[in-house]
Amino acid sequence: MDQLLKAQDVVSYIGPYTILHGVSLEVGHGEAVAILGRNGAGKTTFLKTVMGLVKTRSGILELDGKSVTGMEPHLIQRMGIGYVPEDYGIFDLLTVEENFRIAMWKEDKETLERRDYVLDLFPDLKLAYKRFARNLSGGQRQMLSIGRALVNDNKILLVDEPSKGLAPVIIESLAQALIEIRSHTTVLLVEQNFALACAVGQRFYIINEGRTVESGLMEDLVKDKELQALHLGI
Amino acid sequence: MDKLKAIGTINIRKTAALAALLALFLIIPHYMRNAQLIMFSRVFILAVYGMSYDILRGYTGFINLGQAIFFGSGVYLGVIFLNMQNNLGSFVLALGAVILFSAAGGFLLSRIVLRTGGVVAAAMVTLAIGEIVRNIAERWRSVTGGQDGLPLRFSRVALDPLFSTRVGGYYFSLAFMLVMLLILRAFILSPTGRVLMSIRENEQRARFLGYQTNRYKTIALIVSSIAAGLSGVFFAVIARFANTDYLSIQYTLNALLITLVGGTGTLYGAIIGSFFVTWIQTFLLDLNRSFPGFTLFRYPMLFVGSFYILLVMFMPSGIMGGIYRLADWYRSWKTKRVT
Repeated sequence: MDQLLKAQDVVSYIGPYTILHGVSLEVGHGEAVAILGRNGAGKTTFLKTVMGLVKTRSGILELDGKSVTGMEPHLIQRMGIGYVPEDYGIFDLLTVEENFRIAMWKEDKETLERRDYVLDLFPDLKLAYKRFARNLSGGQRQMLSIGRALVNDNKILLVDEPSKGLAPVIIESLAQALIEIRSHTTVLLVEQNFALACAVGQRFYIINEGRTVESGLMEDLVKDKELQALHLGI
Repeated sequence: MDKLKAIGTINIRKTAALAALLALFLIIPHYMRNAQLIMFSRVFILAVYGMSYDILRGYTGFINLGQAIFFGSGVYLGVIFLNMQNNLGSFVLALGAVILFSAAGGFLLSRIVLRTGGVVAAAMVTLAIGEIVRNIAERWRSVTGGQDGLPLRFSRVALDPLFSTRVGGYYFSLAFMLVMLLILRAFILSPTGRVLMSIRENEQRARFLGYQTNRYKTIALIVSSIAAGLSGVFFAVIARFANTDYLSIQYTLNALLITLVGGTGTLYGAIIGSFFVTWIQTFLLDLNRSFPGFTLFRYPMLFVGSFYILLVMFMPSGIMGGIYRLADWYRSWKTKRVT
């Protein structure tokens, strides 16, 4: 499978602290890959490093064969990465519609079709389209955050802990939506909720103390209780 | 049909209230003394100056302590151009010159301040630049007249009555404020304005959505500088005088106070703020004149300062913020009563 995203020995710091000591992973076109690991392992920092929000000190980051190492976030985004951050990253003082419009690079037929697809995928957003984002529930905010990252013709979607703070019933519907999304978009998912990661991811990487320590097929991880206990504490 | 529906959704009560307010403002100058006409004209022009500050502080979260550079330059350019030739053409030329000057100045300022990290550093740098400009103006007496200033020499025959009579000046300032309110409102509601609002809310989020945020901050700084410069030119006509005080930190703080009192991020707040700031200063000075024996009234700034402290303590989001909070409270009270 062709590589879409490649990270090789990525090292990054936040302030004086080294968070990533050497993360290496590959995501192929059309794949859904889950990054797993305990709290504080560096999963979120890795996604932020890919987006350029945390500077890469050493290592290589490539998207579709082109280096994105050290680039500014807005340029990385324009290369085709949709990012759904842990805290949703939506604008509370804007309406749902404005949140969509601000995310769109252009308002052509294809973009509007993608927006309509998102509104069909998350009907709650259609109902709340003219409402301010601050009035949305946690689940709706997550839907808006994912939906907003889908309106552009992105090559890959980076999703950071979509289940965080959400009720089980909402997580279930999010899992369904992410399974539907992965049928046409490459997805790199960071998730603590093992059930959701298993449902969405086809392959996995485990990060521990800022390093990639394990990788493989998700179905093998589901069977390997020892590995789960060692790195995920399940 | 859609158009009819759209018309149907216009808030009739709100439109009627605005129309009544406008009618009131159109009628009252005929019942005013010259001092009151001047005060209102200043209120309208300083409201635009306040709006220019609101574009920065309220919509991008950026604090420029050198805003008076553009206001003061506008006042100077207004006086200099009108002294060359006392007619409408000169006034239009002054407006053109101030737009060019403010756009270039705003752009240059953005190049400097956007290299500094954070709001406080940017505020300090703009404060320093403002003081440098004021110092240069004070020493460049041949052009600026230094602290003595430059009076605007009026030739009543040549100049349009809009400028030369106080009633004309009132309407002229009112029209300026309304036009600028519409222009700046359109700017805020434009896609660029929405990006600015998103930057204010969270710059990092705007960046990972693909926006080069510094470019948008530069646009905001240029628009704000132009609005401040234009208000300076109009102020020149009303004040009929220019000196280096208009370039000083005092006039930047005036803009800051106007947005603080009125409320930020609304544009309308600047109108209310301008009215209160101008009115309270005039009122307290009048008190001193009316009661010369009362010692406390000899120190009007004591009251002005106390008023601002109380306002920040009890209405941190300004008068407009207070009005919105009151409206929210009324709505929830009404809902509770119904249920």
